[in-house]
Amino acid sequence: MNIKLVTSATLGVAAALVLSSCGSGGGSSTQSDGKPADGGTVTLKMVAADYGGGPTAEDSGAKFWKTVTDEFTAANPTIKVDVQVINWNDIDEQVATMVQNGQFPDILQTGDYSGFVKEGLLHKVDEVLSPATQSDLLPKFAEFGKVDGAAYGIPFVSSARALFYNKQLFSKAGITEPPKTWDEVKAAAEKLKKSGVAQPFGLPLGAEEAQGESFLWFMGNGGGYKDASGNWAINSPQNIETFKFLKELHDAGLTTPNPGTKDRKDVWQDFGAGKVGMAFGGPMSIPQFEKAGLTDFGVAPIPGKSAVLDTTLGVQDWIMAFNKNNRADAIKKFFDFFYTGTAAQKISDTYKLLPVTTSGIQKLSSDEKLKPFLDALPKATFYPFTDPKWTEVSNEAKQSIGSAITKDAAEVLGRLQKVATGS
Amino acid sequence: MHQKSQSRMGRALTPLLWIGPAVILIAVVVIWPVVVMIQSSFQKISRFGIVQGANGLDNYTKLFEEPDFGGVMFRSLIWVVAVVTLTVVLSLALAQLFNQKFPLRNVARWALIAPWAASVLMTAIIFKWMLDPEAGLINMLRVDLGLLDALGGPEADPLGQASTAMPWLVFVAVFVSLPFTTYALLAGLATIPSDIYEAAKMDGAKKWRVYWSITLPLLRPALTVAALINVMNVFNNFPIIWAMTHGQPGYSTATSTIFMYILKGSDIGESAAMSVVNFGMVVVLTGLFLKVSRWNTEVAR
Repeated sequence: MNIKLVTSATLGVAAALVLSSCGSGGGSSTQSDGKPADGGTVTLKMVAADYGGGPTAEDSGAKFWKTVTDEFTAANPTIKVDVQVINWNDIDEQVATMVQNGQFPDILQTGDYSGFVKEGLLHKVDEVLSPATQSDLLPKFAEFGKVDGAAYGIPFVSSARALFYNKQLFSKAGITEPPKTWDEVKAAAEKLKKSGVAQPFGLPLGAEEAQGESFLWFMGNGGGYKDASGNWAINSPQNIETFKFLKELHDAGLTTPNPGTKDRKDVWQDFGAGKVGMAFGGPMSIPQFEKAGLTDFGVAPIPGKSAVLDTTLGVQDWIMAFNKNNRADAIKKFFDFFYTGTAAQKISDTYKLLPVTTSGIQKLSSDEKLKPFLDALPKATFYPFTDPKWTEVSNEAKQSIGSAITKDAAEVLGRLQKVATGS
Repeated sequence: MHQKSQSRMGRALTPLLWIGPAVILIAVVVIWPVVVMIQSSFQKISRFGIVQGANGLDNYTKLFEEPDFGGVMFRSLIWVVAVVTLTVVLSLALAQLFNQKFPLRNVARWALIAPWAASVLMTAIIFKWMLDPEAGLINMLRVDLGLLDALGGPEADPLGQASTAMPWLVFVAVFVSLPFTTYALLAGLATIPSDIYEAAKMDGAKKWRVYWSITLPLLRPALTVAALINVMNVFNNFPIIWAMTHGQPGYSTATSTIFMYILKGSDIGESAAMSVVNFGMVVVLTGLFLKVSRWNTEVAR
């Protein structure tokens, strides 16, 4: 009696497993005809990155998108938008898993689009964005959305980097001006150290953002990931010299301890807590520092080896439409709503991100704290992310470039160069 | 005659009905993924999982040529040996302790479950916080005890360097493995009949002699199972290292499971090759272990 029961239960479980494993393979086939289901309503599935402080924070991405999509559905009753918000550390991984399993979103908002183009997964921009909205996008940014002449990525928001310094710690250490050159950085750091600051320069070369922090230092010495003619040059003499300088700073105890293991968010937290003298940051770090209780900070251009940089690292995030579910018309309505309505403005205001449209920049030009960034934006330098190897290089840099501080810099950078140029 | 053979065939088929569900379960949940894994390791696969064709042995050559591969494999082995040995030795002592009668024994036993009940990821993150160079509880204690001059410096950052991070990682892994192992051994202790101990007492055997000649041999089945499960568990352990050091600096605290996961971000084929190597390693480790512990020989006969 009992045994019978157990057997049938086991059979049931086994059958369920078989069925579910078959089911997960065909997730992409829903509604491939593109016709709206149940009485004319379309539901768009959107995946977006979280610019806020996590799911429970007041500024969480989920809350932001809820207000936007509610407004949109009120204006377009036949289209619903379901937004899944994922934090930055996990979004690439989770989206890759979705795509690997054939569960494509309709809209994706994240840091990169180029990987999907090669697979033929994206709508062209012309198919999902009206000409009027397209012409409002900053041309330099829109240009980066193109692969082989055709635009796929739509610029979403942007940001730039600058040097943040703690004015109180600076005056306590007797420093009157933010450093302009590497020598001044070192001198200022030494003074800060003498006045008792444990982390004179915040240097997060850990997994979160090592590729960006290193790039800013590379640029200070005329280096970068690629040379002027567009070839990978990660182990160039300039870059190796850059890490020699950083090693000097580190060995003198003037940086975050063990930079190769530190995430940017931790260094920013320490900066907000008044424990870091100076660090690179972006407009989006302003609200974070203020929330942590630090308001007396200054923003200055990035110091270079012999003079301040006349460029900076520009980062832009993207929004894109997947073509697997054939919902271009609905997506077009949503995108136009986003860019022409108040939503794009609202995201800049909430998260201190920089707009990517000409009209958006004009609206913000009066904001004092954003001014250094808005000024730097037109001359910004970007990651070489249209190169198909960039993701691999960036991943490897995040993992290992920080060890160039303690190991032989030429060897560590040489290895990255090999990743970039290998097959 | 005819009817007889039919019923014989029916009888022969009956067992199949009984073991069928289990066979299906194993085929779907165990064998199929292994087949797909091995298959993937010979394919060129894009970052988004789209198969771009056969790749021969290239994934393996690329993997073996990774400058960190040797170090990662060696570290995995040390990691398993260190964590499992420490866990088993400590658990033997703990099980002995918890097998004694003392006031509030049940409370103590419940307390022992705590690290097991908490999610491993959570435990790892909490330890990471406690070791934070600026605000970590453990570091604050070290400052108060005079073991550390000040917060914030490299000395206050044990997770920042492989040489000091590895012992902490091992500590956390042992911490989360103890409850299960101790309970498995406690269950083993409960099966040893008390009359054997009485007989030993009457023969005048000393305490160590009793432990060495009676308790340990009779505990062997429980010990073998507990240690074996630990070997596989620790080898495949991911959340502790990932949450506490991310395998950094560089790859200097990464084990093969971490390495496999990092590779997945750029080359799925190579990552699959790493998985196959991992799989082989677990099989070999298990085989070696069973051989050493003479799994099949009966005890006390």
